[in-house]
Amino acid sequence: MNRLNIEKIHEDRMEVEIFDDDSNICVKFKGDIDMEDPGVLLDPFFNKLHEGVVAQKIKEVRADFNELNFLNSSGIKAVAKWIMKLTELEDDRKYIIRILYNRDITWQVTSLPTLNFLVPGVVKVE
Amino acid sequence: MSVNNTSMTDGYIELKFGPRWKYIACVRGFIQNFLAISIVDQSKADKIAMAASELLENAVKYASRDDTHILIKVSPATEEIKILVVNTANQESIDTLLAIYKKISEGDSLKVYVTQMKEAALRSDGKSHLGLARIRYETGGDLKVDIKNNEVQVSIAIG
Repeated sequence: MNRLNIEKIHEDRMEVEIFDDDSNICVKFKGDIDMEDPGVLLDPFFNKLHEGVVAQKIKEVRADFNELNFLNSSGIKAVAKWIMKLTELEDDRKYIIRILYNRDITWQVTSLPTLNFLVPGVVKVE
Repeated sequence: MSVNNTSMTDGYIELKFGPRWKYIACVRGFIQNFLAISIVDQSKADKIAMAASELLENAVKYASRDDTHILIKVSPATEEIKILVVNTANQESIDTLLAIYKKISEGDSLKVYVTQMKEAALRSDGKSHLGLARIRYETGGDLKVDIKNNEVQVSIAIG
């Protein structure tokens, strides 16, 4: 279990799991996120992730999308909602979200870099 | 639906199904396979499959009856691809769709997409209203919405 004590999500073809990554955290997305409202599962997951990261003063979260084949727009909404939580934090409490994406998956190449624009300076896309 | 203007060299598929969410992934996969044998540009094929999936999600969410209809037409010579999704909807859903379309169809597509993302993040009704903005930005295609009585036709042409 990871240091935030957050259980993995495994529903339909969607898997989302948190791993410890040295002093930071990695959240890995796998499969397809295309259910009607992914927020039902992802919103509480991201809330716990955000609260845990802030409480433990973790400086960086790596969001690894390399093995996510498809993300519908409702799933993009859930990711955007998580990222936007950073605007509620004072500057010295903000953490970096480093997005890792797969250049062979077309929607990732076009959509994931746009997340940079939601909260400039705290989202890094690699 | 008319395909009278389809040239003999254009390829197309046409699917009609009772709008069920669980069929969307299956149709997306089928469209990807169809496009893989029809066009060379894999990136374009992926964008089309994404657009079709998003349009079908809208159709399934807002359809007031069975018989959601999707037509995908490929012109091999130009590799232009057209998608048309047709469904029946009630007036409230139609009004919502037209309002979203008006909002996202003007201005820089990236700015519109990011603005819609920020607005979506604030919604608490389980809806994103992000699909059309995503399609416009990611495909760069020409998105159109036509309403005839209670029939909604959403089309996109990608050159």
